[in-house]
Amino acid sequence: MNPSNPPQAAEYGGDEVSAIVLDPGYSTTRAGFAGEDAPKSLIPTYYGKYNADGQEKLVYGDNIFVSPRPGLSIHNPIGRDGIVEDWDMAEKVWEHSFVSRLTGTKAGNPFQNGLNDVDELPVEMDVESEEKPLSDSPLLMSEPGWNPARAREKTIEIAMEKWDTPAFYLARTGVLSAFASGKPSALVIDIGASNISITPVHDGMILKRGVQHSPLGGDYISSQINALLKANNPQPITITPHYLISSKSAVEAGQPPQANYKTFPPDKAPDASYRALLEERTLTEFKECVVQVWPGPTRLSAPGPTGVSNEDMARNTPGRPFEFPDGYNQVFGVERFRVVESLFDAKAAIPDPDSPFPAPTPAQTIPELVKASLAGVDVDIRPALLANVVVTGGSSLLYNFTERLNQELMQIFPGPRVRVTAAGNTYERRFGAWIGGSILASLGTFHQMWISKKEYEEHGPNIVEKRCK
Amino acid sequence: MAAAADVRDMLDLPAEGQPRPLKKQKVVEKRPEGITRELYALLGERAPPIAINENKYKGRPKWMNKLRVRPWSMAPFTNNARSDGLVLHHWQRTHESARPPVPTTTAAPEDSQMEVDRPKEDGKEEGPKVHEQEYAFAKYNVKPRLPKRYTDDEYNRHLRSDDWSREETDYLVDLVTEYDLRWVVIADRYDYQPQMDMEPDANALVPARKHRTMEQMKARYYYIAATMLSLEHPPSEMSEAEFDLHEKMLKFDPDRERDRKELAALQLNRTADEVREEAMLLEELKRITTNEQNFITERRELYSRLEVPISVGNTAMYQSSAGLSQLLQTLLQADKSKKRRSILGDGALPSPAGQTPTATGGLGRAETPVTQGVGNKKGSIAKETNQVVRVLTPAEEARYGVQHHERVSAGVQFRSDRAQRLTQAKSNVQTQKLANALSELEIPVRLFMPTERVCKDFEKLIQSVNMLLDARKVSEKVESEIRVLEAAKSERERKMREAAGTSGQTAADHPQVKKEAQDGESGVGDPANGAGGPQAGQQQGDGNHKRSASVLSASSDKSSKRQRR
Repeated sequence: MNPSNPPQAAEYGGDEVSAIVLDPGYSTTRAGFAGEDAPKSLIPTYYGKYNADGQEKLVYGDNIFVSPRPGLSIHNPIGRDGIVEDWDMAEKVWEHSFVSRLTGTKAGNPFQNGLNDVDELPVEMDVESEEKPLSDSPLLMSEPGWNPARAREKTIEIAMEKWDTPAFYLARTGVLSAFASGKPSALVIDIGASNISITPVHDGMILKRGVQHSPLGGDYISSQINALLKANNPQPITITPHYLISSKSAVEAGQPPQANYKTFPPDKAPDASYRALLEERTLTEFKECVVQVWPGPTRLSAPGPTGVSNEDMARNTPGRPFEFPDGYNQVFGVERFRVVESLFDAKAAIPDPDSPFPAPTPAQTIPELVKASLAGVDVDIRPALLANVVVTGGSSLLYNFTERLNQELMQIFPGPRVRVTAAGNTYERRFGAWIGGSILASLGTFHQMWISKKEYEEHGPNIVEKRCK
Repeated sequence: MAAAADVRDMLDLPAEGQPRPLKKQKVVEKRPEGITRELYALLGERAPPIAINENKYKGRPKWMNKLRVRPWSMAPFTNNARSDGLVLHHWQRTHESARPPVPTTTAAPEDSQMEVDRPKEDGKEEGPKVHEQEYAFAKYNVKPRLPKRYTDDEYNRHLRSDDWSREETDYLVDLVTEYDLRWVVIADRYDYQPQMDMEPDANALVPARKHRTMEQMKARYYYIAATMLSLEHPPSEMSEAEFDLHEKMLKFDPDRERDRKELAALQLNRTADEVREEAMLLEELKRITTNEQNFITERRELYSRLEVPISVGNTAMYQSSAGLSQLLQTLLQADKSKKRRSILGDGALPSPAGQTPTATGGLGRAETPVTQGVGNKKGSIAKETNQVVRVLTPAEEARYGVQHHERVSAGVQFRSDRAQRLTQAKSNVQTQKLANALSELEIPVRLFMPTERVCKDFEKLIQSVNMLLDARKVSEKVESEIRVLEAAKSERERKMREAAGTSGQTAADHPQVKKEAQDGESGVGDPANGAGGPQAGQQQGDGNHKRSASVLSASSDKSSKRQRR
């Protein structure tokens, strides 16, 4: 295909209007131009706050991980249930996500643009007051299916008044994820950082009575790993993040670490939340390398088909080694299955009194959520939904997750055909909702759906309820 | 064959130089392109198996350089599907507007990939047209055709309902229009709150105060839509499609729809066992249908064996177990002498003497199709059916064909034989009559499918046919008596007339007329075909037996002829 030729409009129905797609999540915020296949800008939703010279300063983006400034504390504008709590900061973080990479100001004089100043923080935002950041790009944003009306109105208010976007639309993440896998009707299972959500989608619209969510997301799995490490057999393992280690030497598996630690005097030390953020990074790595979902068909605690209990079978599979930042390393055997088992079986949760997450109830597990979700929709479309289960979200990348999910669903619904669709590509799985938004906002037929600035001024923020349904 | 070298070897002669040089083959390997001649020479004869090829960028062919690039520009456009005239921008070829907005043929690639720029005035002319051109995607903005919205007057006259207030009806119709008749979504978003505003509240997760099911909504809406449709055009003037739609909407039955959904939910929530059983039954069905042809031929063969002349002989000698075993022996003897496949199959058939004549077919449930046909012992059927003894409900008994017999006679009996015996009357004549009646009714003498119910019905039928034959016999008897008496009477009258022959002509005429009138009366009173008896009249009056009656009449005609002969 010659890039100098426009594609035939009838072939793909696309018409790109350089819209920006913003998909804010609890752990990361994704932004990019519609029509591209991955978000260009991916930043953590967390931001850092510290005091310098008596002034409060803010740090955004990947810079929050880098330097342990004195008193640096990490915050998240979004609450654990996925709804924005701190609107001012949410606005700033979101704005940073597209201004820093997509619509930022034109390159200025290198002596003055701050990039070459060592002392100055390059990430500081100096938004020009005269020019608003989105004046010439329509904006498509995503929201969770249970977003209250007040939050939706606030979102359009920010987009229209603070960012001055000419056109805006608010779509549900579930719908977008379904679009990303090419389905207008689907049962979307989104395993995010803070939440698991089940969203039935019919003809591109969510069915509100079927939307279910529970807090057993990636952060919950992290807390389970913490509980596991605390109860580790030879000795409890504590995670020391990289910034506290100046040097380390290799040790045998299971031996105490030999590392030189950095120490910060109390007045120079960053906040505990900074340490938690960096520990979370290590745990993410642990999830990627070690944690595995028991593939089923029966639960980990159940006896297997051959009479040998599943747990014994799991014990016989080779373990996986993991090295912590301080050099301590160990092979993890059956434990690596246990930390995620409670997503399917509430009783299998590893108890930990210190964890911020209460022990999960059976109703919060994925199979029960799916059941409850299907009970909320009309019986005629239930088989169709089961045949179009879409799995998305970063935490769904756990090894064998989709196999287990498939088995669980087939056990609950032995009659209808269950078909689980999950993108094989890591990017497509992590950014499912963003990709769906990218597809949607670049469709020629979608451009009649935008809420234009004129309409907003005419009807007020309430229009979002009428139009984005 | 010894070669020259072998001979030399044997004679210990020194090898004579090299063996004859082969014809020299010129091994000229082609020098790959990306490597210089000197470097290639260094590699020697055996070049390492490396593919040396350079991915060279192939630029545009030279002739293309003469063409000018067609410019693209960020062009504003409006969308006709919008009401607010939002202007968005997209990239467009500058003189793209010369073409139709959507090329109809996808197979029309621009043959020259970069067309020579058209004369300048051409491009200039079309520049401003961009705005006027219709947006290509606006045509996809379609809405379903909904019936006209009712007015206040129409509502009050035709659409009032006790269950639905005017406000709620408005709300429903608004939702239907908003969601384009997607009932799943409408039912999901339906959240009518009587006093509050009409907007669908965002937290619709809160259950509505008055819960409406989708069926109630559909019933109400279809009623409204059908009424509006018929107000627009009376049903007599509707087009066919409209009339169909009207009929469909009027005939919507919410209760039935609800029942259907309940059934669908049941079907969806089947347990794994039920699903497995269903799968097995389906498998079984498939097996049966594939074997059907086989089965039919086998059955035909079986029938042809049974189609021996009906034995008139007494079967009493085979009713005892000793007699049966003797029969078996003779059959076995006969079987051995034949070369055909044995009756006994694998010899697994137990002695028939011990078997009960219960219908084993009923036991052949799909779950255990094979094992049960064989092992039935007297009195242990229930246990054999399932390891677990369970009490069957009447419905299940009917389903599995379980029967209870008060007394079971010894030996094997065919159900069809019992039915057969009914058709054998005491006399041959009677048997013949029965057969005639059956053939008139198009019922074969030998039943094709002698199931329990069929046999019972057959029995009833034979009984009523017998009753009819009896009635006919009685009526014929009465009729012949009447005829004899009639004849005697006329004889007597004739004699009387002869005796009074001298009396006048006019006096003789009178009784004759009177007698004719009497005859007419009796003709009307008696059923036309002479079935004069009261029972026969009853039988005829019965509508169900109409055909039997005609049978009777036919046969009675014949028999009366025979009598006359």
